[in-house]
Amino acid sequence: MKPIFLAILVLSLAACAAQQPMRLPELTAREDVQSDTACESVFPRGHWQFVHAIEFSMQDGSGGTVLGVTSLAGDEITCALMTVEGFTLFEAVSRPGEPLEVRRAVPPFDKPAFAEGLLDDVRAIFLPPAAKNIQYGQLGDKALVCRYAGADGRITDILPTADGCWQIKIYTPELRMNRAIVAQSCKKMGNSLIPEHLELTGFRNSGYTLKMTLVQAENPNR
Amino acid sequence: MKFFFSLLAFFVCMPLQVMAGAAELPGQAPVRLRSVQADFVQEKQLKILTHPIISTGTFAFQAPQSLRWEYRKPVPSLLLMHGGKVKKYVERDGHMVEDTRMQLDAMQMVLSEISNWLDGRFTDNTMFTVSFPQKQTILLTPKDQGMAAMISSIELKLADQKGLLDEVTIFEGPGSLTRLTFKNRRLNQELPASLFTGR
Repeated sequence: MKPIFLAILVLSLAACAAQQPMRLPELTAREDVQSDTACESVFPRGHWQFVHAIEFSMQDGSGGTVLGVTSLAGDEITCALMTVEGFTLFEAVSRPGEPLEVRRAVPPFDKPAFAEGLLDDVRAIFLPPAAKNIQYGQLGDKALVCRYAGADGRITDILPTADGCWQIKIYTPELRMNRAIVAQSCKKMGNSLIPEHLELTGFRNSGYTLKMTLVQAENPNR
Repeated sequence: MKFFFSLLAFFVCMPLQVMAGAAELPGQAPVRLRSVQADFVQEKQLKILTHPIISTGTFAFQAPQSLRWEYRKPVPSLLLMHGGKVKKYVERDGHMVEDTRMQLDAMQMVLSEISNWLDGRFTDNTMFTVSFPQKQTILLTPKDQGMAAMISSIELKLADQKGLLDEVTIFEGPGSLTRLTFKNRRLNQELPASLFTGR
């Protein structure tokens, strides 16, 4: 009986641990204008168009490589996915306050949850989070951080100078990690820091990773 | 994913099929091609794109069913078909690795169509209605409604040299198309089998 009891105990403890809220990394507040502008530079402003090669991997081992187009016009986002061979798999437009408009969706990219999840990923990378409260400060390792608290309880930490580029960490209202974005090889374009490489890890239901390599970036406003 | 790969297989193979001897107008004797090699430029246009996405690559075909279809830029990838086997490689972290996650049965199904094209049986296609709107142009319209929702038509522009194509344009819908332009074509050269089996 002892092994069974131990197994039940371990499972119970694990279940309790999963229910316990995490703690956010400790932030030492700083009233520093520099961190504010640094965090703003993470998000491209105005009209932009990006083309990325995207390698996606799901936790079950499935995945593939596609080309992604993201077009930004203020808060309006249009995005498209296509195969390397040029076949358009998905195209959708997101406008503030309006339902998502899916213009084209080829199976298996025709599920509503896919569209919503994709646009959430795109917003997380390209748009500053909606926040009712922003704190500026440093983490334990002295990294600058802007902590956005959303009205929905989500917390977004933006680290504008991490590893010479930037990182974004998004937590659920229960303070569990929801998404982590690591940008590398940043280039200054106008007021924005445009990364050559992005890696987004999603921690929802089934985990997934997007590795994005910049193919082209255009800023028609410039 | 099967539907997606069927489309992908068609999309990859289509230009090959027509390059490999099918580009014949009615009344012309079929050109029996033993092999074709060419470079291609692929231009992807979408309504939202301010400039098209340009991809470049090469392909080689040898009758009856050997193919090497390779993208060099912007995303290196390679499709090989030989001896009834199909393999796909994609670049990951700077290295070409075999994409074993791809379902390849659809690829083999599409390959069986190629022999029809090699025999110049251009109007016998089960997937498309074929019309000839201009002297040097062939228009393919999908018969299947499911396919028509994804691809509205395919336009083939014949080259002056009999049996060859200059351009293939795949129309997906309003404002969305993919145009493949071929150049540096070499016909009926002896190609080593290793071209279709190795990276």
